[in-house]
Amino acid sequence: MLTKFQIIVGVLSIIFLLITFELIHKQKLREEYSLLWLFTGAIILIFSIFPYFFLSKLFSQVTGLYYLSAVVLIAFLFLLVIVFHFSIVISQLTERNKDLAQRHALLELEFKELKKKLLPRE
Amino acid sequence: MTTKQKILVIIPAFNEEKSIGKVIKEVKKYLSQADIVVVNDGSTDLTSEKARASKALVLELPFNLGIGGTMQAGYRYAHEKDYDIAIQVDGDGQHDPTEIPQLLLGLKKEKGDIVVGSRFITRSEYQTSIMRRIGSSILSRVISNIIKQKITDPTSGFRAANRKAVQLFAFYYPQDYPEPEVLVLLSKSGLKIAEVPVTMKQRYSGGSSITKVKAIYYMVKVLLAIFVDCFKRPPFVGKEREGC
Repeated sequence: MLTKFQIIVGVLSIIFLLITFELIHKQKLREEYSLLWLFTGAIILIFSIFPYFFLSKLFSQVTGLYYLSAVVLIAFLFLLVIVFHFSIVISQLTERNKDLAQRHALLELEFKELKKKLLPRE
Repeated sequence: MTTKQKILVIIPAFNEEKSIGKVIKEVKKYLSQADIVVVNDGSTDLTSEKARASKALVLELPFNLGIGGTMQAGYRYAHEKDYDIAIQVDGDGQHDPTEIPQLLLGLKKEKGDIVVGSRFITRSEYQTSIMRRIGSSILSRVISNIIKQKITDPTSGFRAANRKAVQLFAFYYPQDYPEPEVLVLLSKSGLKIAEVPVTMKQRYSGGSSITKVKAIYYMVKVLLAIFVDCFKRPPFVGKEREGC
């Protein structure tokens, strides 16, 4: 049962890593995010190779978590952090986008007025 | 009375080709010394062309930013060009330009940094649905409590701002529901708000941005936005003051 699960997760994580590499290669993913996803892929891969860490007595004694619930909880927390991070990024981008749009409009008006002044008949 | 001051009238417009020419003409008639800037919020119709034909300046946003971003573009222009007073008038014709002198008088006499034209100080025959009246009164009560000053018409977009307020707005302007939110922002930044009674007309074109059904939804969201505003750090202008 566990071996099957290991194989599935391992294959998925390798595919995931390959896709990430490909996106980095094509420069479709910025470094800050590419590092994050490489790291994530690597962690999942390690976890599929050595699942016994999560089954060990030490781990469950320290955290009070057993295998499956540990996986779910860690995955959930991880996603929560990422989504939160993305909302911060989106907020920043929206603000900058608004600022740029306004600046663009101001410059355009300035430019048109200047053109009118310099070239009255066109 | 205001001959020496540089006045800018900011008209936010989104697809207002039917009314914009008329609004500009009326503003010019009653306030000939003012410059007029129409901020076109990514309209898909002939708003810009109509405004230019009426000899107004046009700030054209490359895409739709919503009312907050649109107004702020106007205030940034006012700040950049060093205007003494900025007046905001809706592009749909519901604000009566004959009332602008009232706003200017308010700036002078009431010593406000911003003057809001209120529909509800005196009884006017301005028609609104019951839902909107209830919503409006709850909203004004909440805001009045937060800023510790009586506000009768927090959603009115018919306003005049002095240099200090223009500077603040150019730097920071709320984006979601700017009319009520601005009041909280102003009081947090220690600026004075004054209200003067005005009458408003029915719109030349278009409906209210708030339909009857959405009134409650709108109010809840505005209230949430205002409570969020209470947690925000006040912008740099003016002295610190604990608002909420």
